[in-house]
Amino acid sequence: MHEFLSKAVENKSIVWFKASNSYIILEEIAAQLVHQILENKTPQKIASTLAEKLTISEQEATHIVKNLNDRLVIPNTIKNSEAPTIKREYEIPSNLTFKKHYLINRKIFKVEFANEFQLSLLHPKFAHLETQESSKIDHTFQVFNSNHLIHLVLDGEFIGAWESKNIHYFQGKFSMKIIECIYNKNEAEWMGVFHASAINFKDENILILGDSGNGKSTSLALLQAQGFQCIADDFVPIDQAQNVYSFPAGISIKKKAVSVLLKEYPTLETSAEYHYERLNKTVRYLPPQQIDYHKKVPCKALVFIKYDATIDFEISEMSKLKAFENLVPDSWISSSSKNAASFLEWFEKMPCYQLTYSNNELMYTAIKRIFEDEL
Amino acid sequence: MKSKNPQNDNVSDEITISRKEALKKIGKYGKYTALTAIGTFIILHPKKAQATSVDHSGLITPDANGFFD
Repeated sequence: MHEFLSKAVENKSIVWFKASNSYIILEEIAAQLVHQILENKTPQKIASTLAEKLTISEQEATHIVKNLNDRLVIPNTIKNSEAPTIKREYEIPSNLTFKKHYLINRKIFKVEFANEFQLSLLHPKFAHLETQESSKIDHTFQVFNSNHLIHLVLDGEFIGAWESKNIHYFQGKFSMKIIECIYNKNEAEWMGVFHASAINFKDENILILGDSGNGKSTSLALLQAQGFQCIADDFVPIDQAQNVYSFPAGISIKKKAVSVLLKEYPTLETSAEYHYERLNKTVRYLPPQQIDYHKKVPCKALVFIKYDATIDFEISEMSKLKAFENLVPDSWISSSSKNAASFLEWFEKMPCYQLTYSNNELMYTAIKRIFEDEL
Repeated sequence: MKSKNPQNDNVSDEITISRKEALKKIGKYGKYTALTAIGTFIILHPKKAQATSVDHSGLITPDANGFFD
């Protein structure tokens, strides 16, 4: 029996297949047919019932069932024969001369790099956590190149190797390992990691989502200056119990947003600036204030945000299906059945909003009203 | 039932059908729309691994500078 999950959302169904770890949005009647196919009912019997139900010919019904089976069920129930992770032959270079120490949730991490470029991939976001204390090291990362791949080793164990085009996965895995270490939870205990900013007020969080360049991080920094607590920027971990955890990396502020934030954060004027040539972007990092590693609180709503100079302020409830379409491809969601079920259950109860603004005051008020159930 | 076009005799005759027949035809097309919808779906794949936003990638183009060699 193939493992799958199903959830009705709005007027459609979402079906999750374990074998492919895919989420499929389809008509409820199509989801029922998929269930019947997965329950090993014969195609003839399924088609016959369908023909009667829709008053169509057996031939038409058979075509529909075959189409769903061939295009949807079969491709998503065959376990992807992923290339096994090859532990490539590598030798840790003896000259990992660039060393940094970070203090995160009372743990000291030592990170050794073979060259300055590798250091530049990780250090800027964690620079504010650097410590001179290096007597008791809890974990040691080693970063080096071998066979044209960047390698990551943690406490002597090979974690992975990535091509240059997949650098964001190398950086993501480094962040994930930090999270696993500081919260003593392995990867299977996390429901997912979301490409969002997380903001806290009292004992709840709101996730701020949106495409890159929409202003997630700037909105987060503005909200932090208003007394909301920054929980995470860019990388939001949520565990199986559906609680959001703090991730203390710096908030990336694009050059064009610096002037907007100088009033609240005067030190940004002299902060180190990093130029990402590949994307023609220049950013500075803003350390999050009052990171609380003990705060594990639920998420109250998803807000898809967009800064738009031509629009003063607009907020509306968003179609859950549209939100789902935006959320899933941009997230890492654990492929275990338990976590996928937790994710669907979590999403089902999550209100989703679309917020477009250029008026900061109205944006703060709207976020506060969502927190206080007044919207 | 057929009726002649009163505006232009050169234009071919229009076909008029009864309300009942029209509803039947619409119903048929509605049915096909519904059948098409059954076969229409969106497949969403989450990321295979944790990733940072791509705008944190590389201060410099690594390949061009030989850092991965």
